[in-house]
Amino acid sequence: MTLTAQREESTRLSALGVLTTPALVVVAGAALLAYLRGQPLDAIERRSINVQVVLARLTEHLELVGLSTLLVIAIAVPLGVLLTRPRLRRLIPAVLAVANIGQAVPTIGVLVLLAVVVGIGTREALVALVLCSALPVLRNTMVGLQGIDRALIDAGRGIGLSRATVLLRVELPLAVPVMLAGLRVALILNVGSATLATFTNAGGLGDLINTGIVLNRTPILLTGSVLTALLALTIDWLVSLAEHVLRPRGL
Amino acid sequence: MSFADYLGQRWPVIGVLAVQHAEMVLIAVAVAAAIGVGVGIVVEGHPRASRVALNITGTMLTIPSFALFGLLIPVLGLGAPPAIAALVLYAIFPVLRNTVTGLASVPGAVEDAARGMGLSRWARLRLVRLPLAWPVVLTGVRVATIMTVAIAAIAAGVSGPGLGQLIFGGLARIGGANALNDALAGTLGVAVLALALDLLFVALSRLTTSRGLG
Repeated sequence: MTLTAQREESTRLSALGVLTTPALVVVAGAALLAYLRGQPLDAIERRSINVQVVLARLTEHLELVGLSTLLVIAIAVPLGVLLTRPRLRRLIPAVLAVANIGQAVPTIGVLVLLAVVVGIGTREALVALVLCSALPVLRNTMVGLQGIDRALIDAGRGIGLSRATVLLRVELPLAVPVMLAGLRVALILNVGSATLATFTNAGGLGDLINTGIVLNRTPILLTGSVLTALLALTIDWLVSLAEHVLRPRGL
Repeated sequence: MSFADYLGQRWPVIGVLAVQHAEMVLIAVAVAAAIGVGVGIVVEGHPRASRVALNITGTMLTIPSFALFGLLIPVLGLGAPPAIAALVLYAIFPVLRNTVTGLASVPGAVEDAARGMGLSRWARLRLVRLPLAWPVVLTGVRVATIMTVAIAAIAAGVSGPGLGQLIFGGLARIGGANALNDALAGTLGVAVLALALDLLFVALSRLTTSRGLG
């Protein structure tokens, strides 16, 4: 729950900017491979650094990120829409205040509290991830919907559209850019939080980092850290492309 | 033991960990503020340099904290050094961004007036532009602080100091007495520390903003 405030403004795309990230990822990935090739790996290191194990951890990580992000969208977007309806609108300041205090709560704390109270495992880790990343999507949904010119909604109602149609055809499309920015923050938060899922036995690339620390094996540590960082950069890059493509025409 | 009893008994330990946590964060933020403001002064007025500096420091925020701690361990070892270094890397962006924005928002007429009075570039920066940009810069430092307080909880995962030790301690003792109390005290402690530092910055901002700006 840390970088919500930082990257709400989506960046404009430039040819150079679009290619920087993949170039960086390829170079860093190649450097990691070269480093591992040059390193005489002992039996313990070979047990963690092999294609099956790394792919299994990567898959777990992607599952955690994918599922938690889908859940966040399924929960936070409808909630944001509900809260901006006229009848519930006065709750927004209270929700935002609670949400802002919630931002100061560390993800690892939520993860461990759930593990202590409910139990360890993937399902509990997913709940923690959702709790910690729902805020930016919820807030941006509300902000995006509230930022729409009232005149456009009145115009929609004036040409005979129902409230629901105005919401689906006018309000939501106009709010998409702001909502996507929130989604991007949530995704990045989830990639980061998922590295902590290893502490509650939910796997992921954090497993490699933690194994490297506990067993004092730098190659395992570096493999986990570099792969996690590259995954985060790649996902951020893909979402920035998606932001550009999904932005409604004419905005 | 109820949480209240636990707090009554353990508050000296919790206090020490909270002070460690605050120290770690404030050292990191002080270093990041020096770098952020310094770089901000250098790149401000050069759109391309500003964009490059902001892109690089902004990208740091994308990298998961546990991975960044991990990347720094081979260089700096375990404990406080990799934690503080990682926090510095995260904290630069908000300070830098707000320095660039703050300096850029100083009205041109004010700058011209200062130049007309014969002030040198350095004097204009020190006497006119930085004081005018200060509230915005300080907001950046404040955002950086609140952000790093939460991230610093993970430092305990790399044998670092701070309230994260309570969280990881609770995790290690799952099922045992006080596991929940430890985790709860660590988590709430971090949140309370963040709010306390936030208030501190509000006060600091009141005290250090030039009269006539507030």
